Amino acid sequence: MKRWHAVAAAALVAAAVALYVVNRSAAAEPINLTTTGTRYAATVRIADPVPGRVTVEVTVSKGNADTVALSAVMAEMGHSTPEISATRREPGRFVAVGELFPMSGVWELSIRLDGPAGEEQLAVKTLIAK
Amino acid sequence: MIRVLCLAAALVLVLATPAAAHNVTAGADLRIAQTIAGAEVTVVIKGTTRVPGPLRIGVVAYQPVSGLRFGLEVRSVEDGHTVTGTAEATANPQYTQLQVERTGPHELKLSAGNETAVIPFRVLVERGSAGELLIYGGLFVAAILLVGGLLTGATARPGRTMALVAGAAAGVTVAAMVIAFESQVPAPPPAGAAPTPTTSAAAGRPYAQARMETVPARPDAGETFTLRVDLVDGNTGRPVDDLTAHHEALAHLVVTSEDGRYFRHVHPLRTAPGRLEVRLSADRPGRYLAHTEFEREDSGGQLVAADFTVGETATASDKASDMASEKASDKAETTGSTGVSAQAGTTVAPRLQPAVPVAGRPTMIELDTPAGVRTWLGMTGHLLIRSQDGAFFGHVHEMGAPGSRARFTFSFPAPGRYLAWIQYATADRIVTVPFTVNVTASEAQWPHRRPSDHIGDPVTTSETQ
Repeated sequence: MKRWHAVAAAALVAAAVALYVVNRSAAAEPINLTTTGTRYAATVRIADPVPGRVTVEVTVSKGNADTVALSAVMAEMGHSTPEISATRREPGRFVAVGELFPMSGVWELSIRLDGPAGEEQLAVKTLIAK
Repeated sequence: MIRVLCLAAALVLVLATPAAAHNVTAGADLRIAQTIAGAEVTVVIKGTTRVPGPLRIGVVAYQPVSGLRFGLEVRSVEDGHTVTGTAEATANPQYTQLQVERTGPHELKLSAGNETAVIPFRVLVERGSAGELLIYGGLFVAAILLVGGLLTGATARPGRTMALVAGAAAGVTVAAMVIAFESQVPAPPPAGAAPTPTTSAAAGRPYAQARMETVPARPDAGETFTLRVDLVDGNTGRPVDDLTAHHEALAHLVVTSEDGRYFRHVHPLRTAPGRLEVRLSADRPGRYLAHTEFEREDSGGQLVAADFTVGETATASDKASDMASEKASDKAETTGSTGVSAQAGTTVAPRLQPAVPVAGRPTMIELDTPAGVRTWLGMTGHLLIRSQDGAFFGHVHEMGAPGSRARFTFSFPAPGRYLAWIQYATADRIVTVPFTVNVTASEAQWPHRRPSDHIGDPVTTSETQ
């Protein structure tokens, strides 16, 4: 009889593994998105994309941007957030800290870049989950 | 059983279907009608099954055009990789093949004459589901272990046999569970899909408001002008740049003169985020009404309306006569001017049932059409209705009537006089049949009133009449 218990236990373990495999895609993973416009190209990194205060790193790989400002819109609910100016840490690398995403959902992050080439607004769409 | 239910619940919660807006997948073409270079065309982007892979783009003409070539530029919004080509607009187009390197957001820049439209879209590629992996993986493990179990059992080692049988049972359990519940589980989003909310609390996006203007601000009769529609989100004040393909167009813009003698059903170009533009010309001075239909992602259709004035100049009458000569010419414009360019067609009047429509009750409107009517904007016929004062606007679709006829059903909301236009596409042109409908109140009896008065001959257009 114990042997049949072993069979049942193995089936249980397999079901748990299946659950894990399916569930892991739902975990909040760091955001790493690139968008390219006509003047600038920017990569956005958010290590912990959750509602509330976040740290956003913007790397500008095309164009010499002097200033970078971020704002967000949740189109589904009609929410928008104030613009946050990013601090220039080194040429082409900017960091902004602030409450960009007040709630979980799909947000469009607008990146407004300005520099000698002119101003351009780029955007990436991302899922923010608790 | 509890395990099975838990897995099923988890699968339903975790996996969500992607939004369908502007997505280009294999087997699901993106079709966008555009009024460009004076021509009414539909751009078709055919999906790809892999990346890097071919993206085929064609331009379908709905009027006689010869040598109307479009510049195509497909750009990945992620890495900026750009490929270019050209396409010629014909009734049955040859598709131009461009190579796309990745999935995700792209832009198609469509150029003809001196007009350019930028159409955003996403390249999606289906990927195998996690369910399939589990089914085949589980069965594979079970098969291997069962064979091993039998062999081990044959050598009379029950302990090892049971261990292998336990592994087999696990494999079969996973496979069976997934097979049983896969039909209830949504497929995973394809590669390149826009992120979707895991739990959607909202149903529909905020309303959009339109700021309409003409460039120049007060065009003269006969002068080509740009009608510009800036769509603004009513909640955020931001440009509305999430229009989905609504009946095969980003927006349907219907421009009518106050008296209804001027009618254009055009499909403006997206020239910037939230900005739609179309070039027009009006042959007579006066007040014109513009009704714009569109649909935001995850929302229903919306309608915005505005009016503008066309002024008279000293040379207006000369220009009007020029336009009249264009009417007879039936030649496709490639200059960017959407002139009248129409010719008289056969006289056919629509039939109404009941003959005297009653407000609030369904009225059937039927029109005999020639053989060979082809689908335009996803339908075989369109009925556009405007109240005399322009305050009400309706757009009705053909119901799939058998034979050579277009049939519509519409309940006129209030008594009064309505201006109406039926449109359908034949092999090489778009036909517009204008008429009027007088609708009675349900209690009132107006036996002497004619239910339908023709306000002009039906016209076949080589444009977007």
